[in-house]
Amino acid sequence: MWIILFLELLTFGMALVAMVIYSKDEPEVFHSSRLLLNSTFGLVNTIFLLTSGFFMVKSVESFKVNNIKKSSLYLKLTMLGGFLFLLLKSFEYFEKIEAGLSIGYNTFFSFYWMLTLFHVIHVLVGLVILSSVYFSLNKKNMDLAVEDFEASATFWHMCDLIWLLLFPIIYLIF
Amino acid sequence: MKNQIYFKVLLSLLALTILAAFVAKFGFDLKATAAIILALFMVKFLGVAYYFMQLKKAHFFWKSAVLIFVSIFLAIVFVSV
Repeated sequence: MWIILFLELLTFGMALVAMVIYSKDEPEVFHSSRLLLNSTFGLVNTIFLLTSGFFMVKSVESFKVNNIKKSSLYLKLTMLGGFLFLLLKSFEYFEKIEAGLSIGYNTFFSFYWMLTLFHVIHVLVGLVILSSVYFSLNKKNMDLAVEDFEASATFWHMCDLIWLLLFPIIYLIF
Repeated sequence: MKNQIYFKVLLSLLALTILAAFVAKFGFDLKATAAIILALFMVKFLGVAYYFMQLKKAHFFWKSAVLIFVSIFLAIVFVSV
């Protein structure tokens, strides 16, 4: 799991470094484009993901002490955080498309769309994994291993970490 | 006790996130603003990795790999901004 995590971080890290290097060629374009983003949306989405990550930790902890009911509740709260993130992101995307700020608008928005969409795909995959864990947890003959639960949690935290990489670079720095 | 630690970590992460947004909004010098935002980012990143993701329990190799990755990433971004 750590290998996957590390490769994911490396991939996003390299793309963000490329974005920063490209910004040197068009600093005004990057600055004015960054101002077109709603940093409050980015901030609220960060809060959603961090809180969701906290509930994930609590869910794994409850599972380890065999408190399935609590673990299941925390897992639901974790997924709620993910859904709220996607909801706000969809609204943000809708706004950008309405304003004509699509992927081909300029270099900044090409990076914005590619990086954030790639992250959204990770969140969607994470939610599918967590749903599968949730159904396993609520089965009559629950046979979910701690290692599987922890691996799913690590994937979810990875989505959180990737967003922590994206948020300051895309929404705040330029 | 453990519960309180995770809750404290969450509160610190949220506070640092709000602080970073505040600095970005009111910071006037681009280089200084970037330095503060990136420093706050590093603390948040390591907080999530070490506490929430339990990286502190992982092998020394992975701990060092993540630390080296985030340091190199920040250095490159800071120099390029």
